[in-house]
Amino acid sequence: MAPARSRRPQRKRRRSGFGWYLAGGVAISAVFSVPLLWEIFRSFQPESAISAAPSSRTFGDLTTANYQALLSGQDDIIRNVTNSLIVAILAAVMTAAVATLAGYGFAIFRFRGSGSVFGMVLLAFMIPFQAVLTPLFLEMHFLHLLNSLIGLALFYTTFNLPVGVYVMRNSFHQVPRELVDAARVDGASVITTLVSVFRPLIMPGIATTALYAFLFSWTEFLGALSFLTNDSLFTLPVALSNVETGTYGAVNYGLLLAGAVIAMVPCIVVYVGLQRYYVRGLVSGALKG
Amino acid sequence: MTKAPGMTLAASPPGRVPALARVAGARRGLPRTAQSRRNTRTGLALVSPALIFVSVFALFPLGFGIYISLTDWPLIGPIHFIGLSNYQNLIHNSVFLQSIVFTLKYTGIVTIPIFVIGYALAVFVRSNRPGATLFRTIIFLPYIVGLVAESYMAVVELQPTSGTANFVLSKLGIVSDSTAWLVHTGLALTAVSILVIWFAAGLTMMLLMAGMQSIPHEIYESARVDGASWWSIELRLTLPLLRRSIALSLIVSVVGSFLAFNQFFIMTDGGPGTSTVPVVMSIFDTAFAQMDVGLASAMSVVLVLVVGLITFVQFRYLQGDSD
Repeated sequence: MAPARSRRPQRKRRRSGFGWYLAGGVAISAVFSVPLLWEIFRSFQPESAISAAPSSRTFGDLTTANYQALLSGQDDIIRNVTNSLIVAILAAVMTAAVATLAGYGFAIFRFRGSGSVFGMVLLAFMIPFQAVLTPLFLEMHFLHLLNSLIGLALFYTTFNLPVGVYVMRNSFHQVPRELVDAARVDGASVITTLVSVFRPLIMPGIATTALYAFLFSWTEFLGALSFLTNDSLFTLPVALSNVETGTYGAVNYGLLLAGAVIAMVPCIVVYVGLQRYYVRGLVSGALKG
Repeated sequence: MTKAPGMTLAASPPGRVPALARVAGARRGLPRTAQSRRNTRTGLALVSPALIFVSVFALFPLGFGIYISLTDWPLIGPIHFIGLSNYQNLIHNSVFLQSIVFTLKYTGIVTIPIFVIGYALAVFVRSNRPGATLFRTIIFLPYIVGLVAESYMAVVELQPTSGTANFVLSKLGIVSDSTAWLVHTGLALTAVSILVIWFAAGLTMMLLMAGMQSIPHEIYESARVDGASWWSIELRLTLPLLRRSIALSLIVSVVGSFLAFNQFFIMTDGGPGTSTVPVVMSIFDTAFAQMDVGLASAMSVVLVLVVGLITFVQFRYLQGDSD
């Protein structure tokens, strides 16, 4: 009886500890999520309520006017959202394809000099793209890649490749050796082997790589600001800076909030849906150091 | 709720991942055969697209930038090689010097809070108690959404009479409801710093948590058997074993701060005056507003060197004697 009795207060303490843990977790979660939820709520307030002193009278008047104005007006945010989607999807597909081939080459076909080539790819990670913007601008001008969504996607692909190649090389390293040998003995072609034998095993890696490139491209600002000068090609983040400065007329904070929410929602949906792939990339990219 | 599969990856250092094919080639004892030549050819062909991308859009611009920085690079007419003149001009360029000082100050302000808060959050969410995965996901959301969308939201909420920030803070008696956050240097820097700390703490949390979870449980069990307290376990065991992750999270955070642009462009546009211009913005303005490409390239080269140095020093300092 004695041990049981002495265990009881301990268990009780543990249970109240768990209560504190939950309360703390909820409070911390609120700090990181309430501002975002609040902005979603605010984006449904009329412009007049957003740009005037807060008042309890107008607080609950909710409307989709900001979104309607944004999506139908001259601002034509739909076009910018489309541009952003095109660039982000293009970059995601190109990064995944190029990184898969490279990971395949580095992991399965160990060749002389592969170490230094791998080092060169990773070197791009050490070069901050912010610091090569000027020469890159001149180079892209020469290659007719300025004011081009494809040009922007090529730029995004490059700076997502180091992480992508790293993730894909690790994915191929985890393919069982018997499978590699069997495929070789089989005499199947290199690409056939990739598609029919390795594909199911490396799909998580491909998802990680594509997701990473998509989120990077969807939220990127400085490169898009530098390489696009034609309004109709602006991606969403750049177009919003026109809304902010009132290039399209008077500054309208309702439009700005609605636009920022449109920029935010796909990130949350994609991340919450595919987060295990994201964390995987973060961790393996992180361990590269 | 999903457990992150990457955590198993974290447990095996990259160098120790079995190199399957290397073994496969050596096992047959035929190092220089037709097979190995074919391997080299196939391997090179497979990695060449990646190599082309990186060469064209990263390595070439870097070399090209160094070359441009040594010329006057006029908009029209012949290019003149002018040696280190651009670099000499940099020393007298007050906007650039000011931007370096400002960027260092900004980095100094945000780094410690991001790290301390990120570490505390990592300790909080590293267990596999119920809810931990959900808390992790939520805390990481601001980072996922990105600083650009959040900066636009902050602009709206930091307006003097209409913004939520003043509404809440004046009710609490902290500031007056007419505080104009973004037109005063000190207040603007405060607002941007708070936003960035909130934005980046989740990333530091994730990186440190991954490191913590890769520490083998047995180490902790023996310490607990010895009767060590929570604090001494954390200080004597976790911290030293976490060196690599700490180095990484600090490098990511410091380099990120040093390359700051979006939040300042959107929230302050460098103002008032040029008092909140970070380094990247002064390069951007020099290249695209003043069209002084040579000078901008010299600034970029300095930036690459500084960022490289920060990375190198932090990595050395924090990783050096752990091996």
